[in-house]
Amino acid sequence: MSPSDSRPAEATRRLLPFALLPTRPSLRELDDAINRPIESFPTRRWWMLFLATASLTGLYLLCVGVTILEGVGTWGVNNPVGWGFAITNLVFWIGIGHAGTLISAILFLLRQHWRTAIARSAEAMTLFAVACAAQFPLLHTGRPWLAAYWMVPYPNHNSIWVNFRSPLEWDVFAISTYGLVSLLFWYTGLIPDLAVARDRARHPLRRLVYGLLSLGWTGSQRAWQHYEKAYLLFAGLATPLVLSVHSVISFDFAVAILPGWHSTIFPPFFVVGAIFSGFAMVLLLIVIMRKMFRLEQIITDNHLNAMNKIMLATSLMMGFSYVVELFIAWYSGVLYERYVFLNRMLGPYAWTYWLMITGNVLVPQLLWFQRFRRNSWVLYPIVLAVIVGMWMERFVIIVTSLHRDFLPSAWGFYVPTWVDLGLLFGSFGLFLTLFLLFVRLLPAISGAELKGAALQPLVVDGGRHE
Amino acid sequence: MTRDTQDHDTERPAAGALETRRSSAGALGGISRREFLALMGASMALASGLEGCVRKPPREVVSWDYAPEYQEPGKVLHFASTWMDGGYPYGLLVTAVDGRPIKIEGNPEHPVGGASSNMAMQAAILGLYDPGRMRRPLGAADWSEADKRVRESLEKAKSGVVLTRATLGESERALMAEFIGRYPALRHFVFEPVNDAARRRAWEAIYGQPGEWLPRYDKARVILSVGCDFLGSDGVELEATGQFASRGFTEAPVSTIPQMTRLYVAESAVSLTGTNADHRLRIRPSQALDLLRAIRKGVAGQDMAADAERLGLDAGLLKALTSDLKGAGNKALVVAGSQHPGSAHAAAALLNHDLGAVGETLLWNPKPAALRADEASTIAAELEKGVDILICLGVDPAADWPGGRFDRFIGKARFSVAHAVFPNATTVLCSVALPSLHLLECWNDAAPRHGLRSLCQPVIRPLLDARQEAVSLLAWMGRETPPGAEAGDEPRFREYVRRRWTREILAGEPDPEQAFKETLRVGVHGAPAAAEPPAFEAAAAEALAAGTSAAGGIEVTFQPHYGVYDGRFAPLAWLLEAPDPVTKQMWGNAAQIGRRLADELGVSDGDFIRLSQGDRSVELPAAVTPGAADGVVALTLGMGRAHPVLADRKVGCNVSALLPEAGRVAVGVAAAKASGFEQLVFSQPTFSMHGRPLALDGTLDLYRENPLFVRERLHDLKETSLFPAMDYSTPPQWGMAIDLSRCTGCSACVVACQAENNVAVVGREECANGREMHWIRVDQYRSGDPENPVFHHQPLPCQQCENAPCESVCPVAATSHNKEGLNDMVYNRCIGTRYCSNNCPYKVRRFNFYNWQKRWLRDDNQKLMANPNVTVRQIGVMEKCTFCIQRINAARFRAANEKRKLAAGEIQTACQQACPAKAIVFGSLSPTEGKEPTPVARLHASPRRYALLEELQTRPRVAYLARLRNPNPAAATSGGKTGERE
Repeated sequence: MSPSDSRPAEATRRLLPFALLPTRPSLRELDDAINRPIESFPTRRWWMLFLATASLTGLYLLCVGVTILEGVGTWGVNNPVGWGFAITNLVFWIGIGHAGTLISAILFLLRQHWRTAIARSAEAMTLFAVACAAQFPLLHTGRPWLAAYWMVPYPNHNSIWVNFRSPLEWDVFAISTYGLVSLLFWYTGLIPDLAVARDRARHPLRRLVYGLLSLGWTGSQRAWQHYEKAYLLFAGLATPLVLSVHSVISFDFAVAILPGWHSTIFPPFFVVGAIFSGFAMVLLLIVIMRKMFRLEQIITDNHLNAMNKIMLATSLMMGFSYVVELFIAWYSGVLYERYVFLNRMLGPYAWTYWLMITGNVLVPQLLWFQRFRRNSWVLYPIVLAVIVGMWMERFVIIVTSLHRDFLPSAWGFYVPTWVDLGLLFGSFGLFLTLFLLFVRLLPAISGAELKGAALQPLVVDGGRHE
Repeated sequence: MTRDTQDHDTERPAAGALETRRSSAGALGGISRREFLALMGASMALASGLEGCVRKPPREVVSWDYAPEYQEPGKVLHFASTWMDGGYPYGLLVTAVDGRPIKIEGNPEHPVGGASSNMAMQAAILGLYDPGRMRRPLGAADWSEADKRVRESLEKAKSGVVLTRATLGESERALMAEFIGRYPALRHFVFEPVNDAARRRAWEAIYGQPGEWLPRYDKARVILSVGCDFLGSDGVELEATGQFASRGFTEAPVSTIPQMTRLYVAESAVSLTGTNADHRLRIRPSQALDLLRAIRKGVAGQDMAADAERLGLDAGLLKALTSDLKGAGNKALVVAGSQHPGSAHAAAALLNHDLGAVGETLLWNPKPAALRADEASTIAAELEKGVDILICLGVDPAADWPGGRFDRFIGKARFSVAHAVFPNATTVLCSVALPSLHLLECWNDAAPRHGLRSLCQPVIRPLLDARQEAVSLLAWMGRETPPGAEAGDEPRFREYVRRRWTREILAGEPDPEQAFKETLRVGVHGAPAAAEPPAFEAAAAEALAAGTSAAGGIEVTFQPHYGVYDGRFAPLAWLLEAPDPVTKQMWGNAAQIGRRLADELGVSDGDFIRLSQGDRSVELPAAVTPGAADGVVALTLGMGRAHPVLADRKVGCNVSALLPEAGRVAVGVAAAKASGFEQLVFSQPTFSMHGRPLALDGTLDLYRENPLFVRERLHDLKETSLFPAMDYSTPPQWGMAIDLSRCTGCSACVVACQAENNVAVVGREECANGREMHWIRVDQYRSGDPENPVFHHQPLPCQQCENAPCESVCPVAATSHNKEGLNDMVYNRCIGTRYCSNNCPYKVRRFNFYNWQKRWLRDDNQKLMANPNVTVRQIGVMEKCTFCIQRINAARFRAANEKRKLAAGEIQTACQQACPAKAIVFGSLSPTEGKEPTPVARLHASPRRYALLEELQTRPRVAYLARLRNPNPAAATSGGKTGERE
């Protein structure tokens, strides 16, 4: 190693909290490990999982059909609770997506190279989450067949324009921009790995498909130069979206005058919550994935450790937000505001509030202990609690605010129907189905970036960076 | 114009017009013009060598080429008529478009009730087009066979009973007399499950002649009602509400001291009148007589402490009430409820005479509009013997009979006939069941008051193969169509009525025929005439009032339902879906009990209880109703009616099995918890204001001290906005004012709005889901003593906010503001995000979760009912109150055609028009040309004015005027405190 090489190595050392590839595999071993899932025949375990998620997807499609053919009357929504599970699901899934963009874009810009092993799957998760989320605002309308295009400002002979003052209209742009940028960013990163898959392919069909998808990638210096530039640009584009998309989603509530919704704390509160829930979902998925495809050498316990720290931090921020909300409600002196928060804690939906506090604030406190942060068996219940807690948070915000607002005469109660539940669990099925297909059809780990890391002369004795 | 042949309205004339119309059908000897053209077209097609296949059009098409000259397509016509279905014959003004009646209002020319209406009048339209109506005679192949069988039985009959309602028309009564004359073996009885026979009989005994006292609630200063629900269902409630609503209060200039009527109500269950009381005394029904006697003692200056103790009432309050009555003297008024026995009415009469109210606040009407009902025991004695023929005209004794088990009488009768609009329990049991015509298809007349007469005319040809009861009587008497009149069923009774009027009633007029036509046009003839009060036989009254009331056990009072009354309107879904004005229960009834009895029985809302008396019993769910007296159960009549075909029509529980044969109070009843639970449906989950300034009120004394007391209850906020203010300077600027002081909570506005605006019915399940569609609702809050609360009614239409929170959040701008200040709803554009509803602080927006109209459509006839000027909303769109924009536009066009400006008060919203209390005022807020403030603008400037949730800065165009209450300051310590909030 020449002395001139030692400077980047030193820089990398400073940036890496732990060794990316502690076992120092060769490049071939890396390629083999990354491409094994897409080159081998699906295992029984995969099939079983796939069947389960595909049946849930079937349930989802059934419920979508019922909703469109019969009307949203098949849901539990009513007057006064105009929004129920659907908007809860929308906010939840959009939030899930945020971790992916954060990992792939913000951590990239911050030179957090440890993100390499998990960035691809996290990004894919973003896309699938957005795909799930985007269906709900459409489905929840009374006339989705018209909502599908009337929400878009297109020139028409009636000169009818959309209402740019409506936060729902902002959602249209926020979600579509987010989805598009995430897709391009993800796809750009995929190209070199698709080329590897193409080059390794034996079957002509595989070669053709991966060949088309890799857009004629040659791996030349020029190509790499363009690639790096494009990737950096997309990372730069995606970064503000992490902050803006969920802020815009939060405007759906913050802009309304409803007590419990009308709150200036919502944009940062929603973004933090989104990252929190997103990391929980990423952890859940990669823990399953590395077990299923034996990727423990690439996705190490150090990764889990680092991600859990972020979860712990965001959990504390959530807890802080909950306290601030309560304080402001009391401090404002507004009768209606105070009632909404008391009702959340003590009313008929109190159990959802306390489930939210338990999942989002209490359970994650276990992550103060490194033992738990590194143990995937302990992580399962923790991330599941966070996912449930974060879903409940959206439910609490939406339903408990709506069901008892200003006029007690108009108060009501919301009970989900089987269609509501079918859409909720079905959307998980859809999400997981897409993810299972992704890990089988596309390289789920960024080989190109990992190989770059493998070539670095790493001597980090990482993992103890507390 | 393509119409089904069943649509008689298009091919036959609106009969009330007395015009004959010819359609072109038959003009070509059996081939209509269209058929002729179709044949011509087909033969031409064949002639040109095409392989033509002549298909007969599936529907006969009849053009209206000889329309009467008044009829233009789409033009709205009004026909005056009379409300014969309820307890009192109010005037009607029926709106018809293209020959189909679509809306009923009160007749403004009618001196009683005027343009206002009640829930049942508003819902009558629904009954006309109801698919559940009886369509053909049952038990006989057709009408001629039915007539043959009935006539045979009549000829042979040695005994017989005819049962009718008390509200027979004048001509019907004459005809009935002729009928009885023709068949002397028959006896005519009046059967009314809800009647005032005890009161009428008591008055007859006291005054020696039939007649009734008409209370003048506008003349009284102090009113004591002992169980008399005069604002709800006891007496002429529209007139009473109109007289009572203002309570003698005017927003007087500062120099004068505002006055107000004071209302005391002593009752067992909570009635609509009770909710409007300044002081509500809870007594058991059996204590009514005792209370009246005690007050009479008090008025005579005797001590009442022992009476108060015995009655369980606050002695101070009783004393205050008595001295208040005494102080008011001839401006006092005491009324007793028709459920009480004669003794209570005698005691009330004595009290009124003592106070000097008779002739002042009570006027004598020697000719009550309704017949006096016969006692069920008298009718039963006759039927018990087993009659040869039993004829039930428009009554349903099998469902209504006190104590139930009317089927045994039908079984004993050799032959039985039921004549009814809807199939009911009686029609199922009788040998022959005959379909009656609906009110809007009938001829009739009435004498609403001494000196006043009115006519009822059909507005549409019979939709079904049905016949008016009077025509059946004519047919069974063998009376042929009078000479000179055209043949057919309809002219038979029309001629009968016309002849009676032109030969008797209008005989003194120069041209009786013309006078008859004029009466038809106006609806009424004559005016209420004063009558000398009869001599008062005090001794007879004393003797009657000396009786004792039976008491003991649980006491049960029976009230008619505020919507379906005694059950006669049970098929009308609007009346079932409109929340009960007092309990806010929808689609059902329950045993209303106080908290204490509920605790004793160990039941809560929805738990079944069993009420039994001897071998009679009913089981029904209980509803804990604050305000009910201890040891009292209040039951609602008129529910639990089955329809032989439409099984889902059965709503609630029929309690007539427990109804006593006289009066509507059962004593010595045992109550116990029964097994079973039913989720009761209420339009409101809570009745507490939760300390929020919503339905504001204050006492008259407070108002006298500080007319601006309302402002002090509200936050005074400086208005700030980021947006430039909208320009609302160009007239007209629509606004509404709702005077909570006037509103009695009767809920006629709710049904009127439903009829006017094609508001869908959603049914019990969806009401339980919170998806009812009413555009205006009447909120109720209860405050103060939880056992005897103060009630607040607050009608709530769309507030038409100037800063409407619903508008900014709609992504497709389907709801937006117009320059006249209305919050418009564009159904076509709506995609149904429901965001507007979420953001509406008043929650007045209603969403079409399903295709409601299709769900309830069983029959093409029902489509005829829709108001053509209001869009029928489809699935997935939001809707809400529009301030009846179709009426605004109609008036605007009318004014433009007449080249004039809109006059102040020219436009009335449907809710305003129906309101008997005149609590709702609509109009432009901009001053008229003479710079005079309009009525609504004047109310908007009232010191009592406030906007609901005004701190949200929504700037509603609906102004509320805080309710004034007038509790007796001398009774301030007792249970009647008002204006306080938890």
